[in-house]
Amino acid sequence: MDIGTGLALLGAGVAIGVAGLGTGVAQGQVGAAAVGATAENPKMFGKGMILMVLPETIVILGFVVAFLLMNAE
Amino acid sequence: MLRPEKMTRVVVVGAIDSLGVTIERLYELGVLHLIDFTTQDDDFKIGQPLPRASAASQKLLKLRAMIRSLEIDEHKPSERLQVREIEDKLDQALVTMDLNISGKVESKQKIQALIREKDAEIRALEPFASFGLSVGDFKEYGNVAVFVGICRTDPEGTILQKAGDHELFKAENPGGFAVALFARMESQVDVGRILADHGFQEVKLPDVDGKIDEIVARNRREIKEVEGDLRRIEAELDDSRRHFADLIVASEEHLAIEVKKAETPLHIATSAHSFVMDGWMPSARAKEIHDGLDRTCCGLAFVEALPEEKEDEPPVKLRNPYIMKPFEFFLSLVSTPKYKEVDPTFMLFITFPLFFGFMIGDLGFGAGLFLLGLTLRLKFKESPDLSRLGSIILAGGLVASIFGLFVFAEAFGVPFHPPAEVHDEYSWESVANIPIHPVLDKMHDIKELLAISILAGWLHLTVGFSLGFINHFGHNSKHAFAKVAWLLILFGMFAEMMLIAGNAAWTSEFVNSTVLAPLPDITTAIAGITVSIPAVVFILVGVVALPFTEGAMALSEVVGLFTNLVSYTRLAALAVGKGAMALAFNSMLLPLVFDSGNVAFIVLGALALFVTQMFFVFFLGALSAGIQAIRLNYVEFFLKFFEGGGTDFEPLSYERKHSIAETRKQEA
Repeated sequence: MDIGTGLALLGAGVAIGVAGLGTGVAQGQVGAAAVGATAENPKMFGKGMILMVLPETIVILGFVVAFLLMNAE
Repeated sequence: MLRPEKMTRVVVVGAIDSLGVTIERLYELGVLHLIDFTTQDDDFKIGQPLPRASAASQKLLKLRAMIRSLEIDEHKPSERLQVREIEDKLDQALVTMDLNISGKVESKQKIQALIREKDAEIRALEPFASFGLSVGDFKEYGNVAVFVGICRTDPEGTILQKAGDHELFKAENPGGFAVALFARMESQVDVGRILADHGFQEVKLPDVDGKIDEIVARNRREIKEVEGDLRRIEAELDDSRRHFADLIVASEEHLAIEVKKAETPLHIATSAHSFVMDGWMPSARAKEIHDGLDRTCCGLAFVEALPEEKEDEPPVKLRNPYIMKPFEFFLSLVSTPKYKEVDPTFMLFITFPLFFGFMIGDLGFGAGLFLLGLTLRLKFKESPDLSRLGSIILAGGLVASIFGLFVFAEAFGVPFHPPAEVHDEYSWESVANIPIHPVLDKMHDIKELLAISILAGWLHLTVGFSLGFINHFGHNSKHAFAKVAWLLILFGMFAEMMLIAGNAAWTSEFVNSTVLAPLPDITTAIAGITVSIPAVVFILVGVVALPFTEGAMALSEVVGLFTNLVSYTRLAALAVGKGAMALAFNSMLLPLVFDSGNVAFIVLGALALFVTQMFFVFFLGALSAGIQAIRLNYVEFFLKFFEGGGTDFEPLSYERKHSIAETRKQEA
């Protein structure tokens, strides 16, 4: 394995790792509020879930970047 | 399926004298969803409750008080009581119960309060009982400061050194050191500080007279005496409970129904001589209600169907085949669809078990989930939500077993045959030679799994946009055509992804040679990535069409659609993740069980294997697969077409669990 591939793999790891962290931070906050809202009114579950998963876009894009990096030889 | 039950707007009108009978009949039929009457004018006013309402409410209030004081909220009568029997017995029984129960409940509460009070005194005084002092000794003095309380650590040494003139009483207790300290008023602040260092907490002594130890002993004696009384009263209440509980619970149900019926006029319009009820009912039953009212109300009440108007929002009664019904549960967690919207239950019925089954994909765990679902369904018939959830798990478990058997060929995370890449992996071959070989291997066909996920995502989203087109078609063609634009963009993205995947997976190869075959093969390379020109054209056409149909803001969601599509790779991720987890535990613990030869290790290994498999793989795996499967539906799928916000169909009706109304004699 040459150093270029190694760096690409490292980049892939960083891409998905940091994106995951970002999503985690955002989802933690939205999730806490969503659980509170659902506790007060169970009908909020669906809406809360939709808001809760919005930050997942970040990690999905991170995954795409990582995937492209892993396959870019 | 797809559409809720068709509703007809009706008015029921009649002479005011027949109001009671009409209400009675409507509740029995259980088909009229009442629309509240709110706009009063000179002629029509909101109706008055039927005359029997107030007496019934009073009795109901008494019964509910009785239920609370006898603590029989959960009581289930052994048999159902006839309504006639309830009505005959209730008045007499209420008097008897008033005499027998109310007085006793009151005494019981008094005794309990007394015991609590005496007990609190004991708890406050007991730590200081050994000092031989009276409560009066702790009163405020002119020149002497008094500290009474509990210290966490022994303060005696420090006090001897620093407190000056003082008198200290101390006793060691399990909770700390009980301390009574008398010191000069001048040194009050210093002493307070010393005690605070030892975690001093002041105890407020109760306002009683006498020596502490005597008070404690007296209180104990008194409590013992009244506890005897309490036990006697409890026994008598138990007697009453046995005697009256069935009647109370059944009567409460009956009277609640009576009150509900009697208060119905509060929702309808009445004039001096007539009443008008406005509402909806299933079109299919219109004739039934027409005939029913005609017969019982002797021609004094009529039902009239009204033509449908455009702005009408009829209530929604979902209409799905029996096996799809449980999946309405998922809809109830979000919102009821509008009357004119497509009911997506059938899609949940198809996609949830498929997604769930694909992610679990294991014969053993699938069968376990199937059994779990079956148990939930059969054991919790009383709770509709749990029973519906049971059916859903059952369906998911079944599909998971099928995937596990025919596609992944594994059970409990152990493959039927060792994969070609790892010959010495544990497999079921050592138990039995199952003649099924895996189509897909979770650990080694990851690209294939990813391609399948993307394909599933494209299909799912395409159905979503198509349903959106159907929902909008006919009343908002602009929005309907926006869905077509989205479909084009989605198709372009999918085609591009499949092009990049190329021959890396069998699925993408298949898609490229069939669905995407008609696309001309014109490509260019941008930043080292192959880009299909036809795919880009599809995307561009859609993007250009969006501002004209859905508005410019929609453009910001184009990237969102891409993430929606990639989001389906969670199907592959969970399948691989769960497989890897099971494999990790198996490869750590199976050698312990089979190769160690030591009985203790075998037992320990088997136990650890059972716990990890059960907890991490079975429960957490099922939970996360379930959440991801439903989330793909809620987020990616529903947002493409579903608005919700419909009104549930709630007809005038009642349910009797503990009482039976005699069936009305059918008039000839």
